[in-house]
Formats: sequence, structure tokens, C-alpha cells
Amino acid sequence: MRGDKKTKLLAKQLFKLSLANGQVSPEQVAGVLGYIEKTAPRNALSLLKLYQQAILTELAKSHARVEHAGPIAATTLAQIASALTKKYQRPVTATAQPNPQLLAGLRVRIGSDVYESSVAGQLTQLASSV
Amino acid sequence: MSTVVEQIEQQIAKLTSKAVKKNTGTIRTVADGVALVDGLSDVMYNEMVKFPGDAIGIALNLSADEVGCVVLGDVSQLKEGDEVQTTGKLLSVPVGRALLGRVVDALGRPIDGKGPIDAKEFFPVEKIAPGIMVRKSVSQPLFTGIMAIDSMIPIGRGQRELIIGDRGTGKTTICIDTIINQGRINKVGLASGDKNFRPVYSIYVAIGQKQSNVVRTIAALEAAGALEYTVVVAATAGDNPANQYIAPFAGASIGEWFMENGMDALIVYDDLSKHAVAYRQITLILKRPSGREAYPGDVFYLHSRLLERAARLDGKGSLTALPVIETQAGDVSAYIPTNVISITDGQIFLETDLFNQGIRPAVSVGLSVSRVGSSAQIKVTKQVGGKLKGELAQFRELAAFAQFGSDLDAKTKAQLERGSRIVELFKQPQLNPLAIEVQAAVLWALQKSYFDSIDIKSIVAAANSLKNYLTSRKDALLAKIRTKAALDAEIEGELKAAADEWKSTYTAK
Repeated sequence: MRGDKKTKLLAKQLFKLSLANGQVSPEQVAGVLGYIEKTAPRNALSLLKLYQQAILTELAKSHARVEHAGPIAATTLAQIASALTKKYQRPVTATAQPNPQLLAGLRVRIGSDVYESSVAGQLTQLASSV
Repeated sequence: MSTVVEQIEQQIAKLTSKAVKKNTGTIRTVADGVALVDGLSDVMYNEMVKFPGDAIGIALNLSADEVGCVVLGDVSQLKEGDEVQTTGKLLSVPVGRALLGRVVDALGRPIDGKGPIDAKEFFPVEKIAPGIMVRKSVSQPLFTGIMAIDSMIPIGRGQRELIIGDRGTGKTTICIDTIINQGRINKVGLASGDKNFRPVYSIYVAIGQKQSNVVRTIAALEAAGALEYTVVVAATAGDNPANQYIAPFAGASIGEWFMENGMDALIVYDDLSKHAVAYRQITLILKRPSGREAYPGDVFYLHSRLLERAARLDGKGSLTALPVIETQAGDVSAYIPTNVISITDGQIFLETDLFNQGIRPAVSVGLSVSRVGSSAQIKVTKQVGGKLKGELAQFRELAAFAQFGSDLDAKTKAQLERGSRIVELFKQPQLNPLAIEVQAAVLWALQKSYFDSIDIKSIVAAANSLKNYLTSRKDALLAKIRTKAALDAEIEGELKAAADEWKSTYTAK
């Protein structure tokens, strides 16, 4: 269960309070957590889980996870970050994550979008089209 | 071997290093064929989404923090955390002539073991019904081959005629007879080489039925030679509710292809009560607010948008719909029956009492109606059967009164006698549709009192004898009635001679 209607609504309101200039602000988040600790609302666990989910979803929109099979240069990461910043019109950071299953190439995840440019992805595409 | 290698090489050549964008989400919960998915920020309403293991889903609930998808296929392989992808496409099914003679599932995939279907085109399952301007009024008949229906409740091409009744009253039989009749007419028409002949292709959509019943139906169609003009869409009771929900829409898309391409098609939805139940199941799991009888608020729209897709288009073809509704203890005022009654252009009401009395098809003349009326009848049927409905209604009324008194005047007695004869004449065995020319000839004989001297109990046998006599010996006369579609003095003369000859041989026996 993900909490009742009231908990969902409260989690949504707390999430809105955690934003500053459309971005998740660590200070605001700290304030929200302090409020939850102090007031100990009903269904605190469900509320925190919902709040965490909302924050993670929001953070994922500004963070690109670059999966790579071979070595990746810091400049490439910076290029990806700047290209995505331009595309999504919000500051995007990029971090590298090795994934040998890709065989070669890259896979970039940002929010619910995935940019696939790997040999593994192409092989999957090939398998489904033959 | 070499072709396979060539195919792979071609595919490799097509591959580029360009990044492919996908929109993804992750499954949060899966229950009863419905998956709640996080992510999928770009998903469209009714878009097809891809689950692992080649399962397909439709995005039905788009809310701020999750997407509710119904899964069409095996849900047992899906688990929390699995990745889901958007496809950018609305749910589509293969359409075209290649589907004729085949049995497919709700997604148009063959399930008859006859190999893949070579379909060139795909139509979206959900389509907006044709508008006002492109429609044409219904004026061409669609013969069911059932005398009681063709003469009293005529169905036109492009009409929506509901078949309603309790369980076991012969609803499916009427539909199957109609499909078989189309197959028979198609064969005769196509063999005649008449350029103006318009065949009717049939689509039979089985929703929530027992697999054994569907197999029996397919066998009946095959035995009658009608399967080659028919597409069977099966979402049986064993299929998940999502497949049962989508099946009639898939069938409508298959039928629309024929309509759009200048052909005529007939679609049978057997039945929409089970369809509504499947939809109720899905919407309750999706946590949509429920209303009367726990059906969602849009259950009327569900059926109205489906049935509105049946039409006769100006300059194109037509799609005739025969939706089936099962009532409980003859209650036509329940939620789903009243909805569908108000959407359709008439209904054929089947009564359990009549069925049990041996009057089959058990059509209740008083409650059955075709709002298209006689505009969808050919002249010959109007000539011989124009007064039948009134006579039968009068008979029912008099029969009810006659039970209370024994002294009846001669006129009332004559009316009762005649009514009983009409009732007997309309009895027809299943899977045995009659050609319209034979119907016309038999009704003409009734009109001209050829059956008046025959004992009421022997009417069925006498009518069968007349039908056999006409089909075996008077083929030319029947062909004349069929082509002229009206009774003139010449045909009437020939009919009289034929009926006299039959009567003399029949009474001699």
C-alpha cells in the first residue's frame, strides 16, 4: 500500500515545499524532514516513502546516469551533461556507471527517458526485427 | 539459410550509431491483468506499451504520478521493477481480406494453427465513428435467412440491431444463421457473375464465451461453407479481461476495413453483457469510481462509441452490427440492456416461454422492432409479408382472451386459426437459413390460403414439403423472384401453378 488519499496529498504538498526555483533544494528538504520529525504525522512511514519517491523522480530529471562498457572520458561526460542541459532546459549533471553488458557504447538515463547507443541495444533491436 | 543471412546483413546495414530515444517506466504493482507503472512521462492515452517478454499493454489511466496499463497477454512473467517502454503507437490490429477464414485473438494474432496472416494494413483499435456528412441512410436489406425476422423485423446494411434474451433462447443461433446465410448468398451472387452484386463479409466476435462453444460455432460455419467469408475474433472466458474488453473494438476495426474499401460487412458482438462485465473488472482494479451495479460511469460511452462505428457510408460500403445482450429472467430494464437498447436501431427480443413451447426462433413479435422499417425490405417481402406483424399481434391478443371463453364468433376463430398457422410457419430449425425467394414463395402461399386446409400440427411438415418442392423443381421460378425482387402478374401466375401442383401432390399423400 502506498498510503491513503490524505497521506498522498500531504506528501505532494511537502514535495512542493522542497523546491526552490523549480529545483530540489537541500535546505528545504532538511526543513521538511525536520517538520515530519517534529509533528510525527499519522502514517509517517508511508508519507516518507511517498515523499522520497517524489524527490527521487524529480532528482532523476536533473541527473543523467551514463552507463558505459569501455572507458569514458571526463570530457565526454561533460559534453553529455551540457547537451542534456540544453535539451531539457534545466541544469543536468552526469555520472558514469560501468555496465559491461552493453558490450560497447553508451546508454544514458535521465528521468524516464533512455538514450540507447550501445551494441547490446542494437542487437536486441536486430533480434526483434529478424 | 542464405536468405536468413541476407536478412541479418540487411538489418546490420540499417543499424547506425545514432542514439535511439526510448521513454521508459518501471512496474510498481501488477494485479489481475493491470499494471501500475512509474515513469512513462511521454505516454499517450490508449498508447501501446511494451512489457518484458513481448507482452503488450494499453495505457488507460494517466495520472500525475503513475500510469495504469491493462496487460494483453501473459502477466505471470511480469514482476515489480520490470522496465516498460512506450511504443509511440496506438493499439492496432491487422485488417484486410487475408483475415477471412481465420480465427484471431483480440490483437489480430492467429490462433487457428493455420500459419501467419499476411496482412498488409493495420487499423487502430479505437477509432472515431464516421460523422454525419459521410453517412447515408440505411436502405439495402441484409437477409438473415430467418423468415420471422426478414418478413417482420427487417435488418438493413449499416443498421445496429440488438439481439436480446435470456440464456439458452437462441441468440447465438440467430447470429450464426445470419452469417451462414451471408455465406450462401455470397456464393450464389459471386457465381452468378452479377457486377452489381455486393457480398457481405462477416466478423464474429466471441467475448467471454466458453472455448467449447467457440469451437462449435467455428465448426458450424466451416460445415456450412461460410467460414471463408468470415473472420472470428475470439476472447474467450479463459482470456484476461483486457483481451475481452478490446476484442469487440478489434473486430470493429477489421469490419471497418471492408466498409472503408467499398464493401459490406456484418459484425456480431457475442455478447456485450460479458463485455461490460470485463470492462467493470478492469475499471474497478484501476480504481475508477463505480456507479450503478458497480459499472463505471462511462459504460454507456463504451458501447455507444463501439456501436456508432457501424454505418452505411456514402460512396463506400457498410458495417452492420448485431450486438447480443443476455438478460436475467427476461429483465430488459436492467442497466446494460437499457443502455444498448437505446443505442441500437431496434431489437429482436427472444422469449424463454416461446422457446420452451417449441416456437423457435423464439422471437417475441410484440417486443421486437426494427427502427429502419420497411425501407430495408425488398418489394417482394413487402408484398407477401406486409401485414404479418399486425396479424400476429392480433392473434396474440385474441389468443390471450380466447383462454377465458369457449364461445367464439367465426371471425375470431378464423383469426386464431390463421395466427396459429403463421406461428407454425415461422418455426425454423437452426443452421438452416432460407433464401429470400423461398421465404417469399412460402409466405405467398400462406397469403393465398394454401395452408388453410392443412391441420395446424402438419403445417411445419407441409411448409418443408413446399420448400423442398420449390428448391428441387422450380429453380427457375425462384431465380426469377430473386432477380426481379418483386411479384408481378407473370411470377404470380407461375407461383400459382407451382403451388397448385404442390398442393395436389401433398394432399394426395
